[in-house]
Amino acid sequence: MAAPTRRTVLGLARCWRRFESPWSLGSRSLTLAAAPSNSASPWRLMGALCLQRPPLVSKQLTPMQEEMAALQQQMEIERSLYSDHELRALDEAEQLEKKKSDLYEEKDEKNILLVQDLEDMWEQKFLQFKPGARITDADVKNDRSSLHRKLDRNLILLVKDKLGDQDVWMLPQAEWQPGETLRQTAERTLATLSENNLEAKFLGNAPCGHYKFKFPQAVRAEGSLGAKIFFFKALLLTGDFSPAVEKGRHVWASKEELGDYLKPKYLAQVRRFLLDL
Amino acid sequence: MNGALGKVTQSIQAGHERGGEESGAARGRRGYNAAADIRVLCLKNDTIFKQAFSLLRFRTSGENPVYSAGGILLTTSRHYRSKPTHGIGRYKHLVKPEEPKKKKGKVEIRAINVGTDYEYGTLNIHLIAYDMALTESYAQYVHNLCNHLSIKVEESYAMPTKTMEVLQLQDQGNKMLLDSVLTTHERVVQISGLNATFAEIFLEIIQSNLPEGVKLSVREHTEEDFKGRFKARPELEELLAKLN
Repeated sequence: MAAPTRRTVLGLARCWRRFESPWSLGSRSLTLAAAPSNSASPWRLMGALCLQRPPLVSKQLTPMQEEMAALQQQMEIERSLYSDHELRALDEAEQLEKKKSDLYEEKDEKNILLVQDLEDMWEQKFLQFKPGARITDADVKNDRSSLHRKLDRNLILLVKDKLGDQDVWMLPQAEWQPGETLRQTAERTLATLSENNLEAKFLGNAPCGHYKFKFPQAVRAEGSLGAKIFFFKALLLTGDFSPAVEKGRHVWASKEELGDYLKPKYLAQVRRFLLDL
Repeated sequence: MNGALGKVTQSIQAGHERGGEESGAARGRRGYNAAADIRVLCLKNDTIFKQAFSLLRFRTSGENPVYSAGGILLTTSRHYRSKPTHGIGRYKHLVKPEEPKKKKGKVEIRAINVGTDYEYGTLNIHLIAYDMALTESYAQYVHNLCNHLSIKVEESYAMPTKTMEVLQLQDQGNKMLLDSVLTTHERVVQISGLNATFAEIFLEIIQSNLPEGVKLSVREHTEEDFKGRFKARPELEELLAKLN
């Protein structure tokens, strides 16, 4: 079932290569890049970057899952054998009882540290430990430009850019220049965006999605009918925008919040390659 | 009385159904069950039962009465060489001959990495965690995912467990107290024939489904990975050192 879908993806890849593919899967086909005459095709090519921050914390269990987990834990405890620690605890309990019944002969105390003491120590340590909060400050304030929000979801970077005379929210993109692969265009976008420490890992050379649109009549010049945008996925490793960057130009949005920012057709294409687990 | 006679007749009939028995033996069985007076009664019925016995013989044997005489059957309905049924039942010529299994170490096969369809060679997916049940369960998940996505899984094996003892300094005194023993478990799923276009999606799926506490590492398979699974042979190494 998956095989035919993969074949269609490959087929798509081949189609792209045949029609207007100045981009290539390897560095050796740079010569191919120059070959198709760009003047013939009225489409401008853009490479866009889908920068994802992977979730830092696992999702919370639903009530049914929690019940199931508790039941399975109980079953496991009942079925399991005693561990070394528990056997030691049972032995020491027996010895204490013998002592109380006065039949016990005085032996040298080998264990100074009883199991009970150990358990008390561990209990103390556990009470001192405080796990991090799932709902951060940014969640409470709904500050969408901070990275430290929605720790159990994938967050995607959206940027406000000028398209023609309108301000449009979209994924950061840059125009393709002849002589580079589209993935390098995406990497260039990343570099210009952050100018600093946004480190991302690209998982592959192939784009994950595309979007094609025509310019409105006013903007259409000779030889540019519209633009084709190819999206490349990258996972954010470290780094964030410095606070010097003006607010309101970028947003880290989760999959549901994308609808607040992106236009419907664009959103439909973007949603296709977003894996939300 | 009647009941006893009934039992005896049943035993006689059972003796007959077994077939090929001499009446003498049957009589012996009869004698075993019955008392003296019943034996007299049975002897009277002997002739009648003998006739029934011979009739039964004819019925069960079919055409050839030779069948029931003795152990191994002498069949006369063989498929003769000149008949069209010659060779019916031959099948060994249809079965492919089994190749002898190689007992020595397997040679590695590496796919070409360059081409229009960019395909990876053999990849190793390492899953490392402290919890064995969790690692094994996730390795199982990855294996099933590959099967479902028709990615060829070459092998799925486990690396030896590493044990770490955590010693903490005691509060009073200089002694080191044993705090805990941590065991690190590693499971490897080896795949081949992964498409470049699909590899991205596949890696993302694996990464996003990672449970808590499991580390993922995807590497290309190398000779050192292969040799690292074998046990170290100190005698061989000593001899090699002596030679050099």
